[in-house]
Amino acid sequence: MKRQPPLVGIIANPISARDIRRIVAHAGNMQITERANIVLRLLAGLGAVGIRHVLMMPEKAGIRQHVMRGLQRSLNLGEGRFPDIEYLDMIVSSSSQDSINAASQMREAGVSAIIVLGGDGTHRAVVSACGGVPIAGVSTGTNNAFPKFKEPTIVGMAVGLAITEASLSNIAFQSNKILEVDVSGHKEIALVDVAIVAEGYIGARALWRSENFKELYVTFAETEVIGMSVVAGLLDPVSRDKPEGRCVVFDNSDNPNYLLRAPIAPGVIEEIGIESWRRLLPDIPIPITEREGSIAFDGEKELSFSKNDRPTITLRTEAFRTIDVSACMKFGAQARLLSNNHQKLNHQKRGSI
Amino acid sequence: MSNNTFPLSKEELLKAYRMMKTIREFEERLHVEFARGGIPGFVHLYAGEEATAVGIMMHLDDQDRIASTHRGHGHCIAKGVDVCEMMAEIYGKVTGACRGKGGSMHIADLSRGMMGANGILGAGSPLACGAALAAQKLGHKGIGMSFTGDGASNQGTFLESLNLAAIWNLPLVFVIENNGYAESTSVDYATAVDSYVDRASGFGLPGITVDGTDFFAVYEAAGEVIKRAREGGGPSLLECKMVRFFGHFEGDAQTYKAEGENEYNRANNDCLKIFRTRVTEAQVIADDEFDAIDTEVLALIDTAVEKAIAAPLPTAADLTSDVYINY
Repeated sequence: MKRQPPLVGIIANPISARDIRRIVAHAGNMQITERANIVLRLLAGLGAVGIRHVLMMPEKAGIRQHVMRGLQRSLNLGEGRFPDIEYLDMIVSSSSQDSINAASQMREAGVSAIIVLGGDGTHRAVVSACGGVPIAGVSTGTNNAFPKFKEPTIVGMAVGLAITEASLSNIAFQSNKILEVDVSGHKEIALVDVAIVAEGYIGARALWRSENFKELYVTFAETEVIGMSVVAGLLDPVSRDKPEGRCVVFDNSDNPNYLLRAPIAPGVIEEIGIESWRRLLPDIPIPITEREGSIAFDGEKELSFSKNDRPTITLRTEAFRTIDVSACMKFGAQARLLSNNHQKLNHQKRGSI
Repeated sequence: MSNNTFPLSKEELLKAYRMMKTIREFEERLHVEFARGGIPGFVHLYAGEEATAVGIMMHLDDQDRIASTHRGHGHCIAKGVDVCEMMAEIYGKVTGACRGKGGSMHIADLSRGMMGANGILGAGSPLACGAALAAQKLGHKGIGMSFTGDGASNQGTFLESLNLAAIWNLPLVFVIENNGYAESTSVDYATAVDSYVDRASGFGLPGITVDGTDFFAVYEAAGEVIKRAREGGGPSLLECKMVRFFGHFEGDAQTYKAEGENEYNRANNDCLKIFRTRVTEAQVIADDEFDAIDTEVLALIDTAVEKAIAAPLPTAADLTSDVYINY
């Protein structure tokens, strides 16, 4: 395939939504065939607004085979509604590293946007490597705070409009906050939350033993999500665009100041003891109070720390860009971006634009 | 030494390491002994996959029954089968766990809940269903544990077992040991939907995937699926992604693997190294304590081989014993 702008990248990492929350909670499992179907709907949406070339992340769980079969069937039927796709030439490790490598390669290839299928973890991996390239997310799990579930066809169309319509450039993109964690010089980011827990091992990564929760830091906190950030959301919500976050201190004693009922995992509502919460202001490194334990990024434990490490957490604003699907579609409707070719769209009323 | 924040006591950590190291050295030694021509029949080595067997078996006791595979040495050792009896069995000697009649692919020890390695791919899952049904009917808290490779999970027996376990809500865990190759065929090619979690979903069962090279990931995940089965929560599936250091069988030229793949895995995906590094960095166990275990394990394997070589072969008269019942 000859790469011609505007290029769009799609990262669908099959490892998302496979963790222990299917056992310790009632988290769903989006099957591989459904993920492939989502990719096809994204491609159809992109194709409908004129995107002709898409770069894809390769994987080894079968999404690619199902997508290729779908494209071939469409070709056989003479539909011609999908863009050309090209798979990146990269070694597949079947881990989140694939998302990082793919995002990095896509950025170098000059994509105008990356569409991400996955949960908070996959989005976090992509953001760590996509640089200034805007992303659009499609949630593939029930345990996600960052990506919302939107119909992929619409996401594809909105992304296509955002990167091809100059008139949309002022409203199509939103800037987002991150949390930056520094553990003895080793830096990691989180898009939604950083949780400090007592257990010093990483294990199966997921968080569900609320008796071990110590501290929580969030970039934003909504009330209708599942996971750690809802704890802050149910105490003191803060929106995605406000330049502040929240910090919550847990209290696992018999007499906490507050007892909060929080849906920390799908189907799991725990009573959690809270000592206090406060605002988190940008660009000020906050030292973690706990001396040892482990740090979970967007719901997954990843790093252990001991008393010599003294980790710090800093809220950063305008850290990466996302595509505002609703704004793009609304503008598209108002500006008649989808209704300006009356012959092709077979409109009854000529000259309605 | 620091506070131990691992989910196991120091003694349990040492026990887990000893078990993994025993499996590793057992297999490394068989690799050499097989090449020397001292071992009858085929052997399929478990080296590289130890964290899975041990991470799971640390949660089991003798009343829990496991159905193993053709690559069963690791399961046997982790389930508590005597290492000397195993080695003698592989050498085909009367002192073996099955009096030398089974060999590598049929080592069993019912007193330990080890129902047997199994030369028939996919044959273990229905046996594990039977063990789980027995536990359910007898009302004790034992569970059945089915081990299946990525290739054998395409067998009808495995899929039928998922169905049976689901409808009877059996206290059972299906473990998929996904080392990427069904004999020499890549999982990418041979399995229509490569996610084994999706297989479980098709039968309404929960399934999860863990990094099988990370002992602590396996240990924690296995603890939850086993607890669920034991307490009446029903069957589930645990996929462990792992690497095997040797070929499908000893003598396999492994032309289907990428150049340098085994060396890469030994350098970067060695579950023993990963375990040891993590525990020593956390300052819970010192290197010299691990080194002492290494020495003891090597001595045990030496003894096992020496005893096996010295033991007699079965006689012609042994052919007619243990045919129906005796053992």
